[in-house]
Amino acid sequence: MWQAAALDPRTKLFLVLIFSSLAVFIKNVYILLLLLFITLLTVKVIGGDITSIFRKLQRLITVFVAIIVIQSIFTAEGQVILQLVKIKLLTDVGLLRGVQTVLRFFIVIAAAAIMTTANPRDIIQGLIQWKIPYELAFMVTIAIRFLPLLQEEAKDTLTALQLRGVNLKKIPLFKRLKTYSYLLMPLLVSVLMKSRDLSVAMEMRAFRAFPHRTSLRELHFCQADYLVMAVGMVLFLLLLMISVKIN
Amino acid sequence: MISLQDVSFRYQRDKWLFKHLNLEIKQNLITFIVGPNGGGKTTLGKLMAGILKPQAGTVLVDGLNTKDVALAEIGARIGYLFQEPERQIFAASVRDEIAFALELRGISQEEINTKVDAVLKQFQLEQLANLSPIKLSRGEKQRLAIAAIMVNQPRFFILDEPTTGLDRERKGILSSVIEKLKDEGIGMVIISHDQYFVQRHAQQIITVAGGEIVDVASCST
Amino acid sequence: MTLPIVVKDLSFQYENDAIYILRHLNLSVAKGEIVAIVGLSGIGKSTLCYCLSGIIPHVYGGMMEGEVLLNGKSTRDLTLPEIATNLGIVFQNPDHQLFSFTVEDEIAFGPENLCVPRDEIARRIDEVLEKVGMKEFRYANPQQLSGGQRQLIALAAVLSLQPEILIFDEAMSQIDADGREKIKEMMLNLRADGKTIVIIEHDWENLQIADRVLVLKGGKLEPFTGSLS
Repeated sequence: MWQAAALDPRTKLFLVLIFSSLAVFIKNVYILLLLLFITLLTVKVIGGDITSIFRKLQRLITVFVAIIVIQSIFTAEGQVILQLVKIKLLTDVGLLRGVQTVLRFFIVIAAAAIMTTANPRDIIQGLIQWKIPYELAFMVTIAIRFLPLLQEEAKDTLTALQLRGVNLKKIPLFKRLKTYSYLLMPLLVSVLMKSRDLSVAMEMRAFRAFPHRTSLRELHFCQADYLVMAVGMVLFLLLLMISVKIN
Repeated sequence: MISLQDVSFRYQRDKWLFKHLNLEIKQNLITFIVGPNGGGKTTLGKLMAGILKPQAGTVLVDGLNTKDVALAEIGARIGYLFQEPERQIFAASVRDEIAFALELRGISQEEINTKVDAVLKQFQLEQLANLSPIKLSRGEKQRLAIAAIMVNQPRFFILDEPTTGLDRERKGILSSVIEKLKDEGIGMVIISHDQYFVQRHAQQIITVAGGEIVDVASCST
Repeated sequence: MTLPIVVKDLSFQYENDAIYILRHLNLSVAKGEIVAIVGLSGIGKSTLCYCLSGIIPHVYGGMMEGEVLLNGKSTRDLTLPEIATNLGIVFQNPDHQLFSFTVEDEIAFGPENLCVPRDEIARRIDEVLEKVGMKEFRYANPQQLSGGQRQLIALAAVLSLQPEILIFDEAMSQIDADGREKIKEMMLNLRADGKTIVIIEHDWENLQIADRVLVLKGGKLEPFTGSLS
C-alpha cells in the first residue's frame, strides 16, 4: 500500500479540480450526495481533517438557510411548504435548489481540504513545474507565509485602539469610516517595512541572480499518482455521463 | 488593582498554558514579570489587561470582570504598551496621534487641545508635535505611545518588554519616564528580561516559567 | 595580501536629507578578525552596514562618495549576487529575513538562486546546520522557533553561500540572553574558521568577543578606549 500523504501535490490539485468542477456541472441531488461521499472518503484516505470541514460548514449555516429561503421566494414554481403572510418562505422546488447549492458548497470545501494535506512548499514547486513563473509562485508563498503574522498584528492594533477608550460599537456611523482609516495606518506601515526588509534580505541571498534557478526539491509522479489520476478521470466521465442522461 | 482568581488559559484546544492561577497586583507598586521566553509572560500581561479572556476563572480589574466590560472601559483604567510600538500608532502626526482617540469619542476641541498640550509637554514631545510618527526612533515611538495612553489618565500601566531595541541613552530616558509615572502614583506591571532594568525599578518581582508562577519576591529600591 | 574589507574615504547622504550621515569614514578589517562597531540609534550604523554590504548603492539610493572594497573589488563594480558569495549579512529582526516554510528551504534559497546543483545544496544544508547546531530542526517551521534559534537559521542561510565575510547588523538586539550567548559562541567558531566578522550593535554589553571595538560618531569611526564591563 502506498503512503497516501506522499501523493504528488499536482495529483491532489487534479483531484480538487475534478471534484469541484463536477460539483458545478451536476444538478441531481442524489448524484451530488454520492459525489460528496466520494470526496469525503478521498479526504479521509489522504489523511485530511474531516472535522475541520464540518467546523467551516457550521459557520456557514445561516448562509445556507438564507440560500434556501431566497431560492424559495424567488422561484415561482413549486408547492408551498411554509408561508408567512403572503411570502412563500419555503417551497419544494426552492428547497431542492437550496439543498443543491448547499451540497455544492459542501463538496468544494471538502475538496479544498485535500490541499491542506500537501506541504505549501510542494504546492509551489508543483506550480513551478507546471511552468508557472517562479516570481509569481514565490510571491504567493510569501503572502501565505506572512498572513498569520499580519492577522496577529491587526488584532493587537484593534485592541490598542479600543484600549484608547474608543468603543467601536458606540461610534456613530459617519465616524466609523474615519476609525477604520486609523486602523489601516499601522498595518500599512508594517507591511511596507516588512517588504522593504524582506526584499533586501532576499537580494543579499542572490535572489534573481540568473533567469533560472535550481531547486532542492523536485517532484516526480509515481505509479500511485498515475493510478489516482486515472481513477479520478474515469469517475469524472462516469458521473458526468450519468448526470447528462438523467437530465 | 488586578486580581486573577483561579485563572486557566489555553491557546490551543488541548494545551493549557495556565492552570488555576491566582495572583494579586497592587495599585501602587512597580511589579516586574520575568522568566524565560515562551513561559507565558506576554500572555499573562494580556490576561491582566483583558485583551485575552481566560477560559476558566476570573480576572478583575478594579473589581470589574474583564469578561463583562468593553476594552474601551478597561483602557480608562489600564494603559497597555505592546512590545512593538508600531502596532499602536495610528495617526499621521505626533499631535494627531494623541488627539484622535479623544476626537472619535466626541470630546470638545478645546478640552482636547489642553489635554494634548499637557501630555506633549510632560513627555518632552513638543518639538516633535508636527512630525510623522514613522520618522521617529523606536524610543520616541514608545514615548509617544505612552503619551497617547496618558491622555486617558489611567491609574495603571502594563509594559511589555519596553527596553527591546533601545540603546543605553534611550533606556535612560525610558527610566525617567517610568520614575515620573511612579511619582504620579501610577502603578505598573513591566514584562522584561533586562536584568539591569529590573534591578533599577522593581518593587516586586514575579517569576513565570512553564505556565506557573514560580516565585514572588518583594524588593526595596 | 588584499584585506577582506577596506573602506576608503566613505561619505554618504540620503536623498532629501540635509546632512552627510557618514563623513570621510575609513576602515580596514583583516582576515580572521572580529571588529565591533557601536553607536547610538540613528547615528548611521545601519547606513554603514548597507554600504559595507553593497545594499547601498545597489538597492538604496543617495549620494555615496569614496568606496568600499571587498577582497580588493569595489562594491560598485560587483553585482549583489557576486557580493552575496563574498559577504553574508544577518539583520536585526528575524521575522523580516526568514520567509520559507521549512528550515531546509530557507537555507536552500541562496544556493538555488545561484544554480548550485541539487546534491551540492543538500550537502551544504547538512554542513551549515551542523555548524550552527540546529541539525534536528531541519524540517521545522522557522516561525515556530525562538528568536535566538531563528537568528541561527538566518546565519545558516547566508553561510550556505560560503561567504568569507559576515556582518551582524544588531543581530543580538531582539533576542534573549541565552540566544545571545549562542550567537557569540558562533562568532568565535566562525573566526576560528578564518571568517572575517563585523558586528554592529547599540549595546556595549555583548562586545567582549571582539578583537577591536570602534565607535561611530559624527559620521566617523573612532577607536573605543573605555572599558567594556
